[in-house]
Amino acid sequence: MAASISGYTFSSVCYHSANSNSDHEGFLLGDVRQEETVSISDTQISSAELVQVVEIHNHDPCAQLFSFYDYAGKVNEENLNTILKDRRKNVIGWYRFRRNTQQQMSFREQIIHKQLTQLLGVPDLVFLLFSFISTANSSTHALEYVLFRPNRSRYNQRITLTIPNLGNTSQQEYKVSSVPNTSLNYAKVIKEHGAEFFDKDGVMKDIRTIFQVYSALQDKVQAVCGEVEQSERVKEKIQEDVNKLKQQIALRKRKTAEEERKIREAQNADSHSSPEENTEPSESSLLSRITFHTPSAPERPSTSPNPPSYTDLLSQDDSLISSSSPPTSAALLPRPQAVGSPGHPTPGPLGMGLGMGLGLDRQAAGQEDDDDDEDDDDDEDEDSSEYENLVSEGAHLPMVSASVLAQGRPAALSPDGDARGSQTT
Amino acid sequence: MNNMSPEVALHRISPELRPLLCNVVRNGRVGLDSTNCLRVTDLKTGCTSLTPGPCCDRFKLHIPYAGETLKWDIIFNARYPELPPDFIFGEDAEFLPEPSELPHLVHWDAGNPECLLQLVKELIQQYHHYQCQRLRESSRLLFEYDSLLEDPNYGHNMEIYAGRKNSWTGEFSARFLLKLPVDFSNIPVYLLKDTALDPGEDVALLSVSFEDAEATQVFPKLYLSPSIEHALGGSSALHIPAFPSGGCLIDYVPQVCQLLTNKVQYVIQGYHKRREYIAAFLSHFGMGVVEYDAEGFTKLTLLLMWKDFCFLVHVDLPLYFPRDQPTLTFQSVYHFTNSGQLYSQVQKSYPYSPRWDGNEMAKRAKNHFPLSSPITKTLLKEVC
Repeated sequence: MAASISGYTFSSVCYHSANSNSDHEGFLLGDVRQEETVSISDTQISSAELVQVVEIHNHDPCAQLFSFYDYAGKVNEENLNTILKDRRKNVIGWYRFRRNTQQQMSFREQIIHKQLTQLLGVPDLVFLLFSFISTANSSTHALEYVLFRPNRSRYNQRITLTIPNLGNTSQQEYKVSSVPNTSLNYAKVIKEHGAEFFDKDGVMKDIRTIFQVYSALQDKVQAVCGEVEQSERVKEKIQEDVNKLKQQIALRKRKTAEEERKIREAQNADSHSSPEENTEPSESSLLSRITFHTPSAPERPSTSPNPPSYTDLLSQDDSLISSSSPPTSAALLPRPQAVGSPGHPTPGPLGMGLGMGLGLDRQAAGQEDDDDDEDDDDDEDEDSSEYENLVSEGAHLPMVSASVLAQGRPAALSPDGDARGSQTT
Repeated sequence: MNNMSPEVALHRISPELRPLLCNVVRNGRVGLDSTNCLRVTDLKTGCTSLTPGPCCDRFKLHIPYAGETLKWDIIFNARYPELPPDFIFGEDAEFLPEPSELPHLVHWDAGNPECLLQLVKELIQQYHHYQCQRLRESSRLLFEYDSLLEDPNYGHNMEIYAGRKNSWTGEFSARFLLKLPVDFSNIPVYLLKDTALDPGEDVALLSVSFEDAEATQVFPKLYLSPSIEHALGGSSALHIPAFPSGGCLIDYVPQVCQLLTNKVQYVIQGYHKRREYIAAFLSHFGMGVVEYDAEGFTKLTLLLMWKDFCFLVHVDLPLYFPRDQPTLTFQSVYHFTNSGQLYSQVQKSYPYSPRWDGNEMAKRAKNHFPLSSPITKTLLKEVC
């Protein structure tokens, strides 16, 4: 249970009390409401917390002691009605002020409280006790207040009473209370001057203006979105045309190469009488083949808008292998792979088997790494190992890409599957 | 400020309330333990601090009850002295007496100085009922209470304090304070005279503390008013038996009562016996008597002569004479010791029987003194 009292009510009660020359008492008016807080967290679905909130809006001081009860503490209902009149239904509690006494309900207060609970029909009637303590030499005075709900069990009787907005409101939120405003003057003034701030629907004018600005911005954004979409589509179309043209060029080149090869073969068949010179020409033909093959093959994967997956590339390479006789050419095709991986396309010695070539590649890569590290160590031996790694990687990258470029540029330039990208990840 | 004498406290009280408080402080003896009267402390005012004094109208009243001291706050209003007070019952937050049982509250009359004291007495009565109600938490202790209540000797002079000894463990404990119906009126007056303070009423209170609800830890204690205590020979002289395990109060209390009564009887008898003894000696030794205690009959001094040798005999009669044997001190009239005292010799063992009457004792003593002359002779030999 929580309770709050508005600042002006509290100060009014204190004023009445402090100015009385004896004990003082009165009634508290307000209302009680139930607040349910539903909180959702990851662990539970939801949890609902039910809190009863007592809000004290006003108070009704009694003019004198024993005004509604007698010496035995018996409450006189007639007198009670005379004091409260039509405010009786708003009563949620009563208060008492006494100087220099303990913060404990007294004998008579307890008796009266029981009777009031019954007569007013408020099951959770609260009792606010003010006590004013002064030191012997009157140098320090303390006003203490405790809110009791005596109808509960003995150990659960005190409730914290908060006074909203009593504090630093620049840091805390200024709380608006739910006290109903019954002032006629206030209603009149608001009616007169309200038109400057509110429009006919009761909404503040500023809100509407801001909303209009927001709507305009939203429209503009929508328009820009449309334009962007259009330009993207145009770009896409152009890209498609470019790809088609590239494909045509490649096809034409292949055809001319095929024709030339046929012509050469025909020529070779003619000059078959000298077999010792076979190896050299075959080597030279291999080399020339290599120079021919490498630029063309990698272009395939790079020119498509959606770069083929690695498996596709492999299958393409396999088809290449099946079409062309020398198996080593497959090993020498640049593939988009990470640096340092076994299949790294570094320029290994020609004429070697696939496995050997790969092994050498590995070793070559390792050597490169060592070289890099050694260089870095010499230059920046004070740097941390992390830096060295980064630097070495960085140094590695251009080395690699350079080697790849030596093989065939397009590998480094393929849209997203390029060696550089895969290395950085 | 807490040890303020009553008169100073009254001075600070608002004039209209003074008679009420006066009555409480001066005449306020409530409860069994009326040697302690009611005490007033912590005088405060309910008026603004600018009000000129004296205007104190609220205070704490200390009430002895069942071995505890109740501290109740009494709240008046100095500006409205005709109104009845309000009470805060200290730690007994659950004690809520029925106003209809408090006639002096319902018909409060501020003009009657005794009104407050009467109201306090009524409240204490209600408090007593409240404590007895609390005994219901333990059937064993309730049984004790009921059995005592039935006995008219104890039932009406009983105060009970029941409660939780330890609010955390919730152990139940209770204390019974009983006034023992022992008649002290026959104790000779002299025995009661030696106290500096006003002895007040002669009373013996038995306090029995039950530390647990099953009555396995029981601690009895006997409280006597100072004069009685002195008359019976001091606090060391009186030992009450321990509470028998498994026993109950209705058996134990009469036991203690009887013990006390016997002691008192003995003391009274002792007095009379001593008187008889001294009277007998006076008649037998007549002129030889130097002096004797004519009030308590505890001392007697004789001057005797044996074969031209004079000596003094001091007779000291103990409290529990004739059970305890009188001490004889023989003192020379001629000789000093090195320390400047008269040479004396104490004799405790001589033929004696508590069953002899005073006359018999005097006769035997007369016969014994010549027999002790060898001692006298020894005296002579040693000093000369």
